[in-house]
Amino acid sequence: MSTPTQTETTPQSTVARLRDLWNDYLPYWFMAPMVAVMVMITFFPGAYDLYLSLVAEPTLDVFSAEFVGLSNFETAFTRGGAIHSFVVTITVVTSALLLETVLGFVLAALVAGVGSGRVKSFYRVLFIVPMAVAPVSLATIGRIMLNSEIGIIPYVINTGTPFAAPNFLSEIPLLTVILLDAWNWTPFMFIIFYAGLSSVPKTLIEASRVDGAPMWRRYVHVIIPYMKPVVFVATLIRLIDLFRTFGVVYGLTGGGPGTATQLVSINIYEQMFINNQIPVAAAIAIVYLVLVVALCNIIIAKVGFEGVWD
Amino acid sequence: MATTDGDSPTASQRLDKDTRETLVTVVRHTILLTWSFIVLFPLYWLASMSLKPPGTANSLPPDWIFLPTVYNYIQLIQDSGFVAAFANSLVMVSASVVLVLLIGVPAAYVLSRYDIPMERDVLVWILSSRMLPPIAVVLPFFIIFRELNLFDTRIGMVLMYVSINLSLVVWVMKAFFDGIPETLEEAARVDGATQFQGFRKVVLPAAKPGIFSVAIISFIFAWIELLFGLVLTSFEAVPVTLFVYSFIGSRSIEWGMLAAASTAMIVPVVIFLVAVNKYLAAGLSFGVVIKE
Repeated sequence: MSTPTQTETTPQSTVARLRDLWNDYLPYWFMAPMVAVMVMITFFPGAYDLYLSLVAEPTLDVFSAEFVGLSNFETAFTRGGAIHSFVVTITVVTSALLLETVLGFVLAALVAGVGSGRVKSFYRVLFIVPMAVAPVSLATIGRIMLNSEIGIIPYVINTGTPFAAPNFLSEIPLLTVILLDAWNWTPFMFIIFYAGLSSVPKTLIEASRVDGAPMWRRYVHVIIPYMKPVVFVATLIRLIDLFRTFGVVYGLTGGGPGTATQLVSINIYEQMFINNQIPVAAAIAIVYLVLVVALCNIIIAKVGFEGVWD
Repeated sequence: MATTDGDSPTASQRLDKDTRETLVTVVRHTILLTWSFIVLFPLYWLASMSLKPPGTANSLPPDWIFLPTVYNYIQLIQDSGFVAAFANSLVMVSASVVLVLLIGVPAAYVLSRYDIPMERDVLVWILSSRMLPPIAVVLPFFIIFRELNLFDTRIGMVLMYVSINLSLVVWVMKAFFDGIPETLEEAARVDGATQFQGFRKVVLPAAKPGIFSVAIISFIFAWIELLFGLVLTSFEAVPVTLFVYSFIGSRSIEWGMLAAASTAMIVPVVIFLVAVNKYLAAGLSFGVVIKE
C-alpha cells in the first residue's frame, strides 16, 4: 500500500523526485504536447502565409526577401480569379449547408417517428453509410454515373422520361457538386439531429400533443427550440468542414469547365502548383483564412454556446 | 337514416383519423425508402461495375444480370502501386491515430477536470485549427517540409494527419470526460492512488467507448484525406486516396479498376462506421448530446 507519507523531508532518490515532478505538475505535462502542436498548426501557417504573401519570390533566407507590399493581393484579385472563386465557394457552402440541414432534419424526424425499433435502426445504420465514402470515391461515382456517354443516370433520364438529360459535369457542374456533397454529408446532419430528437423529453412532446397542437406547430414551438444547441453545433461544424471542400471537386471537375467550379481551395492549389505563383496563392490563402476564421468566430460570439457547455 | 346520420360524424371522424395515420405512415416510408434507394444505388452501381467483366463495365443499356468476376480486383492486387499505397495509408493513418490520442486525450482530461483560465477561449482556439482550410495551411507546410526533409515521408504525413484530427479528439473527449463523475477518481485517490494512476486506471477505462469512437472517426478523416497527400508526397509516402485519384487523372480511365479501387477504399470504412454508429452521434456532436 502506498500511503501519502512523502511530506517528510527525507532524502529522495532521483526516480522518486522525478515521479513527484510528474505527479505535481500533471496538468501541465498533459497539456504541453497539445499546446505545442496547436501553436505549430495554427500560428505558424498563418504567419508563414503572411510572409509569403508579401514577398516577390519566396527565399530560404526570410530576412533577405524582397517585400512587395500588397501587390500579390492586387494580382490575386485582379488577374488571379480570387473574387470569382470566393463567389463560387460561398454559393456551394450556403446551398449545401441549407440543403443538408433541412434534409438531415426531415430524415431524422421521419426515422424517429418509425414505430418498429428494428426498422428504425435499419434506417439509422443505412443512412450514415455515405459518410464512409471518401471524396475521391465520390468523384469516381460521379464520373461513372453522370458521364453523358456511359453514365446510368443520363441513360435513365433519356430513355425513361421525355426529357433530355443535361450534361451534369459541363452544363450544371455547380449544382452537381452541391448535390454530390449533399449525398455525402447529409448523413452527418441526420445522425446528430436524430440523437438530438431522441433526447427531447417525452413529457414535453406529450404535453403539446394533449393540447391538440398540429404536428408542424409541435416542431416549430416545442421541438426545434429545445434542440437549438444541437442544430447550432451541427450547422457550425458542417459549415467549418464545407470550407475545407477540395477532393470531390478536384476529382470530379478539377475546377472546370473553365472556372465554373473553381472553389477558393482549387484556385489556391492551381496558383501554387500549376501557375507556380506561390506568393499569389499565399495572398488568396491569407484572405481565405481571415474570412473563414472571422466568420466562424462571429457566429460563435453572436449565437453563443448556450447549453453546449456544462 | 336518422340514426346513421347521428352516428356518422364520429364514425367518419374515426375513419378520418385512421386514414390519416395510415397516410402518414405510407408517406413516411415512401420518403425513407426513396432516400434508402438514393443512398444505396450509387454504392451498388460502383460495386457492380467493379465486379463486371472487362469490356461490359459501361455498356448501355446496362447488363442488370451478369456473372460477377473478381478480375478487376486481381488486376488491382497485381498492381504493386495500389497495394503499396493501401499499405502505406494503413500504416500512416494508424500511427497518426495512436499519436493523436496520446496527445489529445490527456489534454482533454485536463480541460475537463481543472479550472483552466479562459477555458472557453482555449476551446475555441483549438476548434479554430479546424476552421483553417487545409489548402491555406498546406502551403507553408509544403515549403517547411522541403527544408526539413519531411517531404514525401511517412512521418511528415503522420504529423499532418495528427493536425487534422487533434481538435476533434480534444473536443469529443472533453465531452466524454465531462460525463464521467469526478467521484470515481476521488475514491481512487482516497485509496492512495496518485493523480496519474487515477486517470490511467479509473478514468480511461470508463472513457473507453469515447476513445474507441473518436479513434475511428479520426481514422476515417485521415483515411479520406486527399489534399495533403497530393501536395506533400510524390512517391514514397503516397496514400491510397492519391493513388485512386491517379486512375481518374493521368492514365486513360480504366473504369473497372477505378470502380474496384474506390470500392476497396469504402468497404473498411463502412464496417467501422456501422460498428460504432451507436457512439457516433455523441462523438460528432461535441458533447451537446451526451446520451442517445
